[in-house]
Amino acid sequence: MDWSLLFQSYGAVFSSVQVLLMTLLGAMGGVLLGAIPGMTATMGVALLIPFSYGMDLIPSIGLLLGIYCGGMYGGSISAILIHAPGTPSAAATLIDGYPMTKNGQAGKALSVAMFASFCGGIIGALIMTFLSPLVAKVAMKFTSAEMLMLAFFGLSVIVSISGKSIAKGLISAFFGLLLCTVGLDPTYSVKRYIFGMKPLLSGFSFIPTLIGLFAIAEVIAGVERIINGEETQMKNSEKITNVLPDGKTIRQIWPNILSGGIIGTFIGAIPGAGGDIAVFVSYAFNKSFSKHPEKWGTGIPNGVAATESANNGCSGGAMIPLLSLGVPGDAVTAVLLGAFIMKGIQPGPMMYVEELPTVYRVFAALMLANLAMLLVGCLGVRLFAKIVSVEKKMLYPIILVVSLLGAFSINKSVFDVGVCVLFGVVGWLMNKYEFPLSPILLALILGPMCEQNFVRFVDLNQGNFWEILHHPIAIGFFVVSVATIVFSIFNQRKINRLESQGVPEEK
Amino acid sequence: MQKTKTKAFSNLVISVLLLAFEIWAYVQASGFRQVKGAYVQASTFPQIMIIGMAIFTVVLLVQSVVKLAGQMKPDDPNAEAAPSLNPIKNKGFGAALLVIALCVLYVALFDSLGYVLVSAVISIVIMWLIGKRKPVTVILVSVLVPLVMWFIFYKLLTVNIPMGVLQPLRDLVDRI
Repeated sequence: MDWSLLFQSYGAVFSSVQVLLMTLLGAMGGVLLGAIPGMTATMGVALLIPFSYGMDLIPSIGLLLGIYCGGMYGGSISAILIHAPGTPSAAATLIDGYPMTKNGQAGKALSVAMFASFCGGIIGALIMTFLSPLVAKVAMKFTSAEMLMLAFFGLSVIVSISGKSIAKGLISAFFGLLLCTVGLDPTYSVKRYIFGMKPLLSGFSFIPTLIGLFAIAEVIAGVERIINGEETQMKNSEKITNVLPDGKTIRQIWPNILSGGIIGTFIGAIPGAGGDIAVFVSYAFNKSFSKHPEKWGTGIPNGVAATESANNGCSGGAMIPLLSLGVPGDAVTAVLLGAFIMKGIQPGPMMYVEELPTVYRVFAALMLANLAMLLVGCLGVRLFAKIVSVEKKMLYPIILVVSLLGAFSINKSVFDVGVCVLFGVVGWLMNKYEFPLSPILLALILGPMCEQNFVRFVDLNQGNFWEILHHPIAIGFFVVSVATIVFSIFNQRKINRLESQGVPEEK
Repeated sequence: MQKTKTKAFSNLVISVLLLAFEIWAYVQASGFRQVKGAYVQASTFPQIMIIGMAIFTVVLLVQSVVKLAGQMKPDDPNAEAAPSLNPIKNKGFGAALLVIALCVLYVALFDSLGYVLVSAVISIVIMWLIGKRKPVTVILVSVLVPLVMWFIFYKLLTVNIPMGVLQPLRDLVDRI
């Protein structure tokens, strides 16, 4: 590694007013966009690409990375405050983030999310800087066998997010996997469960389904609670003296941040696997190794830290295959690849030879984007936390109309608004009868990856599935998956035992 | 509490309904077009998922039966109650059904009336339904929120949102 060039590049990026300004603007836009349910970081980057046409490469990359990192954090704001994840990768943040809000700790949840996002992003950026050629080498060994087992590994997490009843969690998960099969079969284009509805050919759109399951279901349940007199108005009596978590909280959450950041970076580095998978894997991993797994899901900062650090760690991870191999790690880096090509730079192995200063400047821009996200988060945390003080009788209709607009905006389709309402009802009923929603969400994320790689692997090996035994990385994933399942079952039994003994839940 | 009003009984009913759904979904999958020479048919993956779902549905069914027939005494006061589905007795449930009906109406009218108008109407109705009785606040919030959201999406994010009968408003914004 050329250290002097690395420092020079960092210096050039951090001293350029244009880069600083663009990155800050990007982070502000990203946080705002991410906080709107339905608007993802990918959409934000895609929308702002035309604005970066006239800029030099590094300011434009700074702008886009600012949106990327800001959007990743922004998604957690609505997840924590109103139970509506702004982006798919914030879906796991609400497992502990929303209960924290209900416990009157909205400000703390937001500051933990912001701090963990920042640390995760920095971990990702550092790993990217020092290990990108090595990580890319491992990630590119992934064939359909490894991807299939990676999907299986992701699904093994379901047991630990199933809540009290593992049977209900697994029913939810299999239902989610079944929902993924609606539409055209990805290999032979056979119609499945279409019933003559053309918009269903491409299956249920993910974002409207996500918004329905969480936001709309929460609105319906909220109205029910208000009428029955069970809804308590959340008053934000919490005094936010510090926009960053205090020393005690940081000591409590740093292992979760560290492991989340590393998990996020490595999963982000695998093409096709992004933040939405990493957050659940990180959550389950950290819960499994926690001394008090029974407290996870009741509103503890560790849960928020584990997911948010993984979420932003992905941003660095996804850049690794983009820069070193020219293969985007996720949808946002696919758009970024377009931005590079637009500027006449072709990412790939030769970039490290011919454009090394540019590579180092991109590393620096990512670091700067995370700092900008932290600054925007610090400035906004008090303001965001006030949202919970809005009267529920007004907040629910507002969430409803904003969420339905988010569902429409993805494909500009009224059918998607209908899908959103349908899954709102499904989510409400599932909540009512204590079927957990997180497994269905994870299944919706992993289902297509699971099926495509299963079909591809079996076809390539002419029907011989046991050929998978010749793939050591895949076997490694399988072993870890089985260990995760066993651990999670053990943990869940421990939680159920403690609850039956009357151990109070953490408030 | 009567056994039929317990959570265990509702789980039993849900298991039976789920099993019926799984049988239906399996039969539907069996009818998918078969591709000659393919090692994995289009129906394989959904059928595996249905079998997985059915296994755990049976587990839930057995758990419920064991609870109802074995552990739970008749009129057990400690039994967990199932949520009431009677909209007359459970007014909250009735209101939730009304919100769902309003949402269905919202989808039906989204294109013809436009986002802003249909959103303002649904907001006003829901706020009134849940007891917000300050007309000025209700109308102001219900109109301003969709209007601002429309403006953000239309002008800043360049997403074209249906305006229906309020189309002249968009023309006015375009002219400005």
